[in-house]
Amino acid sequence: MKRITLIILTCLFASMAAMAQNGLNINRLFDGRYKKAAGATEIIVTGSQAREYGLTVYHSVTVTDKTQAEIIENLVVKDGSQAVDKEVEYRNGQLYYGFYTMPRQKRTNRYIFFLNQNLARKSPKNVVTLIYMEGEASAAKIKKLIRK
Amino acid sequence: MKELHHISSQAVLETLIERYFNGDTTLEEECELRWALSHCPWESETIDDARVVMGYFAAHRHYKRHQAANPLRRRMMGIAASIAVILTIGGYVLWHQSQPADQCIAYVNGVTINDDEEVMALIENDLSNMDNAAQGMASQLSSLGEALETEND
Repeated sequence: MKRITLIILTCLFASMAAMAQNGLNINRLFDGRYKKAAGATEIIVTGSQAREYGLTVYHSVTVTDKTQAEIIENLVVKDGSQAVDKEVEYRNGQLYYGFYTMPRQKRTNRYIFFLNQNLARKSPKNVVTLIYMEGEASAAKIKKLIRK
Repeated sequence: MKELHHISSQAVLETLIERYFNGDTTLEEECELRWALSHCPWESETIDDARVVMGYFAAHRHYKRHQAANPLRRRMMGIAASIAVILTIGGYVLWHQSQPADQCIAYVNGVTINDDEEVMALIENDLSNMDNAAQGMASQLSSLGEALETEND
């Protein structure tokens, strides 16, 4: 009896640990490092405000620091290789725009947006934006959302 | 002494009960009936009435409970109950953990913004920039399509 209980508890805690992280490389960017950083913007929206858009999580980071921009791009490209669907545009060998649909997790859709405005043709700006969205919204709904 | 306990079916038992209530049974048959009522697994209105009248109802229930109280069965039921409790608690904990708390906050150059409208305005700006980039890509594809069509013509 004790052995069975132990096995069940082990399985339970292992599955809890696995579910507690969503396994994306960009997660490490959301550790709070940009909250106090100059030239950076971090936005976190969860709960009722996010639900209005069919989302459970909206998390974005915008940076002007070139070193940080490179770090973000590398992590996005890594995650992008696991995407089930993607729209990407490279300019001069660098990722300019990316919209990635990541594999569903816990019946939740996950999306990553990336934009390097430094590579924009019209009025380039030294700004890199990363957006992570999570929720039941479909890719089509997300695209509608950005066209609002 | 005559061999007892040869009641082979529920129908035989019920006939015997009927005969008992009509006062047609012998002493031997009554002994046999008492034994059958306290040991047989059959249940019906007639049989239950006879058990009540002959005082064997409690004895029969005790017999059935004794049958159900198989130690292995009880142990398995205990394990199943434990698993059900653990899974219920675990499921609730996982569900609760997966529900993010209400948050609408932005950090701009180290400054915290809690105003929902300001935060939503920042989001709209981000999304608008994304849209411009996406539109740029769409228009490129459209130009490419047009160029291919012209070449084919």
